[in-house]
Amino acid sequence: MDAAQFVMPRYELTLILKAMQRPETVATLKRTVETLMERGAVVRALESLGERALPYKISKHNVRHTRGGYFLIDFYSSAKILPTLLDHLKRDVDVVRPTLLRTDKEMGSAPYCFPEPPKNKDTLPRRR
Amino acid sequence: MLGIRSVKFIQSVLSQHRLKYSVTEHGLRSLSSASPEMKSSDDLPIKMDNPYKEPPKGCILCNITVDHKNVQLLSQFVSPHTGRIYGRHITGLCGRKQREVSKAIKKAIHMGFMSVTLKDPSFMKDPNICTVKHLE
Repeated sequence: MDAAQFVMPRYELTLILKAMQRPETVATLKRTVETLMERGAVVRALESLGERALPYKISKHNVRHTRGGYFLIDFYSSAKILPTLLDHLKRDVDVVRPTLLRTDKEMGSAPYCFPEPPKNKDTLPRRR
Repeated sequence: MLGIRSVKFIQSVLSQHRLKYSVTEHGLRSLSSASPEMKSSDDLPIKMDNPYKEPPKGCILCNITVDHKNVQLLSQFVSPHTGRIYGRHITGLCGRKQREVSKAIKKAIHMGFMSVTLKDPSFMKDPNICTVKHLE
């Protein structure tokens, strides 16, 4: 665990973009990644989860969206730029929903979990 | 009275099998195995782990990482009629995994991966993990 890990934690940005034609989507993604890089983030990977129907209709920037393109951006950056970055993304008309998550800390996982011991059957069943 | 030859024969057979024997004029008197330190506690049962012990069982998500992007897995723990998350007594998961699944479902809903009040129709035909009987 060196100091660099805390200075530049790893984040994942899940971007839901408006359902657009390919060149416009490309332009939006390029814009977003450039914004990230301007603010000193190191972009690690950009994945596309395809364009699909949203699970529920989302209203954003006076438009009711039914379909969207899902994209994941993995990057390292300092934590100071995140509030301004999110603000920037919320103002972008083509972005329906930006969500930022930290992917550093892995939850400790034991090899397997112990099932709870069987409850005493003498007690009466719960009344609902 | 045993003949000398027969005694010699018995001796050779028994020595082959490494058995202690005592032969007197009346014949073979006693027969015992070659180890001299025979205690009375040697025929007690040997202590070992229960060989019929079943391997310890965990819940179904034991070695599976729960991810908020894995909507199909998360949808298996959600009601198809209302989209509500099933409780621990229905899913049969252990405490830690139940919490992980619940948090992942809420995260997925908020991020726009999973629906709130319904289960994705393409996942309706998935095998039923939870012990719920739906009215047909």
